[in-house]
Amino acid sequence: MKRRTFLAGLVALPITSSVAGCGLSSNTASNSSASGQVTGEITFQTWSLKPKYTDYVNGVIDAFQKQHQGTTVKWVDQPADGYLAKVMADASAGSLPDVINVPPDLSFPLAKAGQLVNLDESLKDAKPEYLENAWQAFEIPGKGGCYGFPWYLNTGPIFYNKALFTQAGLDPNKPPTNFKELEQQALQLAQKKVAMLGQTPSIADFGLYGVKVFENDKFTFNEPKGVEFVETYKRMYDVGALIPEALTQNYTGAGAKFMAQQTALNPGSAYDLGKFKTDAPSLYANIGITKPITNTGSANMFLHGVSVPKSSKNQATALAFGRFVTNAENQVKFAKLASIFPSTSKGGDDPYFTTEDGSDEARVRVAAAKQLKTAVNYTPVQFSDQMREALLQQLADAMLGKKSAKQALDDAVAECNRLLK
Amino acid sequence: MTHRPYTPWLFLLPGLAVCLMFTIFPFLNMIVLAFTDASALGGGQFTGVDNFVRMAQDPKFWLAARNSLLYMIGVVPPLVLLPLLIAMLAQKVVPGIGIFRTAFFTPVIASAVVVGLIWTWLLDSRGLVNSVVEALGGTRIPFLTDSTLLLVSSMVVTVWRGLGYYMVIYLAALANVPKDLHEAAMVDGAGPVRRFWSVTVPALRPTMVLIAALSAVNGFRVFSEIYLLSGGTGGPGGAGTTMVMLIQSVGRGLTGEVGYASALSFVLFVILLGLLLITLKLNRREDQL
Repeated sequence: MKRRTFLAGLVALPITSSVAGCGLSSNTASNSSASGQVTGEITFQTWSLKPKYTDYVNGVIDAFQKQHQGTTVKWVDQPADGYLAKVMADASAGSLPDVINVPPDLSFPLAKAGQLVNLDESLKDAKPEYLENAWQAFEIPGKGGCYGFPWYLNTGPIFYNKALFTQAGLDPNKPPTNFKELEQQALQLAQKKVAMLGQTPSIADFGLYGVKVFENDKFTFNEPKGVEFVETYKRMYDVGALIPEALTQNYTGAGAKFMAQQTALNPGSAYDLGKFKTDAPSLYANIGITKPITNTGSANMFLHGVSVPKSSKNQATALAFGRFVTNAENQVKFAKLASIFPSTSKGGDDPYFTTEDGSDEARVRVAAAKQLKTAVNYTPVQFSDQMREALLQQLADAMLGKKSAKQALDDAVAECNRLLK
Repeated sequence: MTHRPYTPWLFLLPGLAVCLMFTIFPFLNMIVLAFTDASALGGGQFTGVDNFVRMAQDPKFWLAARNSLLYMIGVVPPLVLLPLLIAMLAQKVVPGIGIFRTAFFTPVIASAVVVGLIWTWLLDSRGLVNSVVEALGGTRIPFLTDSTLLLVSSMVVTVWRGLGYYMVIYLAALANVPKDLHEAAMVDGAGPVRRFWSVTVPALRPTMVLIAALSAVNGFRVFSEIYLLSGGTGGPGGAGTTMVMLIQSVGRGLTGEVGYASALSFVLFVILLGLLLITLKLNRREDQL
């Protein structure tokens, strides 16, 4: 009998440990004050910046340590894979690093759980140094308070494959400029067995279409405009204008299919253009670049920031370092290295972002920098990974005809609102 | 030489400490969390059996349980029979047999991610298999974008990965089948097929039961194959989601519902425990016959 129990337990126990290691912990806040002395040691955690940007980050740390004698910054870089799990484990244990690199959707649950320092309270004069839309991205909507220094931004054009456009009899110099043209051209491409798109719409795409995604503390993208948008995609899916994998893949997967020239059009960034040049030269030779398709007049914006957890034992130093890393000078230097854009109010005035030199890279960069002034982060900070999955699954059901567009969106919104609580 | 009763425990202590910390404690913690609404960032409140009531009404749970059950039914027979046939071929001592044994065992030691990527490239709508199908005049088969075919494709990968591992277990068991039994059967005029059914199979029955139990449990807990082949989504509409995928999906991230995920884990544990007990009982009954 003992042997049986042991055998069963041996097989079944390891599967439970993945979820069981978390949850029964209490949040810890240190007694450290934001207005204390800038001195002592702090830890700075970044998201996948080594080895490409090692010299840059070390340079920033050296400059900070020189400016603030008696401080030591220990830099820890985590790979992108498992970053979320690492933050989750640290947050559960109340041992987050003193300064942590997080995008808004990661800072939101931490801020909501009371684990991050409110910059509006601790550093009242910091806000004007940053772009308003970037600062807002780190606020808890409706409740105020900013919980992260905006760091780097990105936005981008739409890339399209001129060779595939020509193959289908479309004018390679007339890419779609609005959603109606996107559908018309996608249907035409599909007749020649060329797929236009590699994924179903993301929540940001709903925003770009002009759908009210989130209002009065709840998700609302099942409004008539949202239904109309999904029906557009359904018509395209039915004729093969979306590849079959579109039902299951995200931005990265869709990007890979575009690189493999299996789809004709994909949104991207200045970073992607460099990637095409090195990883897909035959695509690069045929690449077309056009403005983002939007009904609102504003492009989509992605951003990263740095937050300071309340558990930091050296909050004053952590806040000073967070502000230093994200100041205009350091951000412009970083942007020049990494095909990204500064989130400071004056960073975009640098000639690097306003002057073209005739190259494709400069053209994309200048256009993107201009675009960023009015860009919006269309993904609500409340939109979690589980919600993204729910939307993807419901859209797949709508594309396959298992549900109407309205029913699929009603179900997705109901699930998102349930998860919101 | 005197024997102190605590000496063996001293030797066991490091292993026990690791076991307690990384297996027993998380397991007990999981049971406690199953009765709370805990999230990744908070301890949560005691909610009684709410998580289990929700589970009973959750279509995703029933879908995942059904898929896991189908998966188990799909992989157990091939994983019990195919490795046995391969082991019988691989046990023969002929020149170059080591190469074949190594070839069959390689998928076992290959990284799950690498295996997943290779099979994704093979089965993708524009992958190698579909290119061959198209070249032969057929239409593309939606191996990874149809939920039923996704499950079948994942089962093929599971069987392919498991062949070598179970083959090694069979090789060890075959070496213990008394040769004189085969010789006696041959003297009685039994051919190779008769000897297989009347000598090899009865001698290997305990091993077959063990492999059936292990492959059933592993089949029910399948995760990496489906996760990798479906890009982490469980197929279109999540229709290919299995139990462990559901647990991962519900509990992951800073917004994960750890309480509900723990309740799902607890139910999975009970199902697997039941499965193993049934297998052991069947094995014992056969031994008594």
